[in-house]
Amino acid sequence: MLNGVSIMRHFLALVCTIVLPVSAHADPLQLRANAFTDSRAPAGLLILEGRDKIRPWFDVEGLVWTGARPDATADVMTLALHLREPSGFGDVRGGRFVVATGAIRPVQIDGISALARAPIGTKVEVFGGAPVAPRWGDRSYNWIAGGRLSQSYEGRAVTGVSYVQRRAHGENADEEIGTDVSASAGRWLDLAARGAYDLISPGLTEATATVSTRAAPWRFELFGIHRSTGRLLPATSLFSVLGDFPAQTLGGTVLWKAAPRLDLFVSGAGQSVGGELGANALGRATLRLDDEGLGFLGFELRKQHASTAKWSGARVIAAGPLGRGFRASTELELVIPDAPNGRGVAWPWGIVALSWRSLSSWEIAAATEAASTPDHAFELNALARVSRTWELR
Amino acid sequence: MSRTSLSVLLALSIMLAACAGVLGLRPHATRVAFPHRQHVMKGVNCKECHTDVAASSKERPPHFPTKSDCVRCHTQPHTDRDCLGCHTDPSARGGAELAREHLRFDHAKHMPAAKGDCVRCHQEVALERPQALRPKMATCFSCHQHEKQWATRDCDGCHVDLEGERTLPASHLVHDGDWLREHGTQAASSRDLCATCHSERSCSTCHGVGTVPGLPARLAFDEVRLNGLHRAGFRSRHSDEARAQPGLCTTCHSEQSCVECHQLRKVAPGEGVRSPHPRNWLSQSKGGGDHGHQARLDPMGCAGCHGGAGEQLCVNCHRVGGPGGSPHGPGFASNKDKFHDVPCRQCHGVGP
Repeated sequence: MLNGVSIMRHFLALVCTIVLPVSAHADPLQLRANAFTDSRAPAGLLILEGRDKIRPWFDVEGLVWTGARPDATADVMTLALHLREPSGFGDVRGGRFVVATGAIRPVQIDGISALARAPIGTKVEVFGGAPVAPRWGDRSYNWIAGGRLSQSYEGRAVTGVSYVQRRAHGENADEEIGTDVSASAGRWLDLAARGAYDLISPGLTEATATVSTRAAPWRFELFGIHRSTGRLLPATSLFSVLGDFPAQTLGGTVLWKAAPRLDLFVSGAGQSVGGELGANALGRATLRLDDEGLGFLGFELRKQHASTAKWSGARVIAAGPLGRGFRASTELELVIPDAPNGRGVAWPWGIVALSWRSLSSWEIAAATEAASTPDHAFELNALARVSRTWELR
Repeated sequence: MSRTSLSVLLALSIMLAACAGVLGLRPHATRVAFPHRQHVMKGVNCKECHTDVAASSKERPPHFPTKSDCVRCHTQPHTDRDCLGCHTDPSARGGAELAREHLRFDHAKHMPAAKGDCVRCHQEVALERPQALRPKMATCFSCHQHEKQWATRDCDGCHVDLEGERTLPASHLVHDGDWLREHGTQAASSRDLCATCHSERSCSTCHGVGTVPGLPARLAFDEVRLNGLHRAGFRSRHSDEARAQPGLCTTCHSEQSCVECHQLRKVAPGEGVRSPHPRNWLSQSKGGGDHGHQARLDPMGCAGCHGGAGEQLCVNCHRVGGPGGSPHGPGFASNKDKFHDVPCRQCHGVGP
């Protein structure tokens, strides 16, 4: 316990040291600081995020966190500079950011990305850098490079082709080509699809497609997913050689805005995991208690039956304003596994939270979380967060 | 119709009527919206009431009329209280204040161009039941083309901070349905469109490598409506969730992220830690137990603990000539050099 007090004392000192000296120096500078603590792993956590539009053609943003565990640690999640050509013909990003270009799956890199646009709707994007390793870990001879060429058709449809190569310690870990398409026919039909093909272990790595249509108050969607799990791993992993056992999902969703404050949502899908068939289903009702949605009730049922993952679950959420900036919220969940295998016949989980928001951009939230999990018969946890936002002009 | 059916129908009707307010079918009793139309029809110029509209700015209060503006015509008010305390829709003031906060707009610059005709922009003010008194964005575009800014999704000219503003778009961009699953497919070809509202942080808080501390589901524990993947009791059954959607975890996680967390929680292989594997996971009988089958269904799950140096555990049995036999399953193909490239050389050894 003394350890915890000591840690918190150091943590609060750290918060004060970092937060208090902030002063206006740019226009407009947005800063947000979150101090977070969790009794499960007694640690203090400070997250600082900021964005500054120094010039119309130049902005910078950052998001860093630092923890006050006994082995004090920190990491940078975003630290990016963004330069734009004033007429919109191109822009350049540099620093630490996430690249998600066309069919290329999101990857966080330290590097640079450049985008050029032609007036006829053609775009070329290239990027290169080193994939991020947590806590500044070793990444010698790790690099990634790729690009995408795309064409827009009067803003109604976009098609693109992309390529990426990734090296891990000098070895070829990923090499893929991809294609993507999206189209919007008026307000009633949206279509999007993407696919990536592995060039090292030839075959389809991942393909996803979604088609949705709206006819108020309804929205219907059909979707399909194909993932070759072995190919999703880096080709340098021994587990990438086990063969092609794809996981495929085909399903649909229906959203019905049954009343101005009541949304009903159902989703169902059939699955094939390595040739074994399965299915999942979800139903959700959300009732807003006021026009602004400040208070709401939600109820959700879920059934999962695929591979060795088989369970049924129910979830209830509720939140509402209490006045004077206070707000209460709760989330309760009960999961019942089909085959407990000695891990407990039911896994209940719940949280009760109270938060307060001031007019001067302060936010304070505290919660108690209790659960019975497959690992522990009973867990009790306390969480707290203090946040402050500055907008300096 | 039987008496029972009639009673049930009656009860349902009463319940529906009682719920109508809750469901939003019947608006709650609100203060009366200001009768702009009546004033317009009587020829009252907007500036007669909104006297200081030309001088309004972010630093000054909104240009709402005060009681002194009203009593110039309504000389005998029925109460001493502020007129707009009752004769206005409360959401109108809130909306105007939000607009002042989130938009770069100056009435003084627009009034000469509109030649004092406020209705040119505030078109709904003359309607019997206006939906919104503030102009829609399309109205702005009727004069300001902003073609370049539209092409590059540069909205900063008018919007102070779209991400902070959280104005939900009205068209196909609305993130309803199962947006968490859908967003990756939609975003694949629409980076510029996403960047209209979202900054780098939006992606990196989930897709970054060291993201766990900043995950919205963890940090915003009081926002119970967030439908993140990792909400509620996900942590305790994450292995089951991973097996339900094989390959999904690799969208954000590498095998190192598993090892790091498992070591911290002492479920990684090593002295004095427990094995998470069930019985018959590994046996010396034909087939070697269930581990091979499960590894093919969820190789990421294996790599999570046995990746890197841990691969040697597999190599010991499955190397060429080893007792475990070939691990290559149906559909295996590779362009790698089996004698020199990683990981092939671990089992095939260095050849000629």
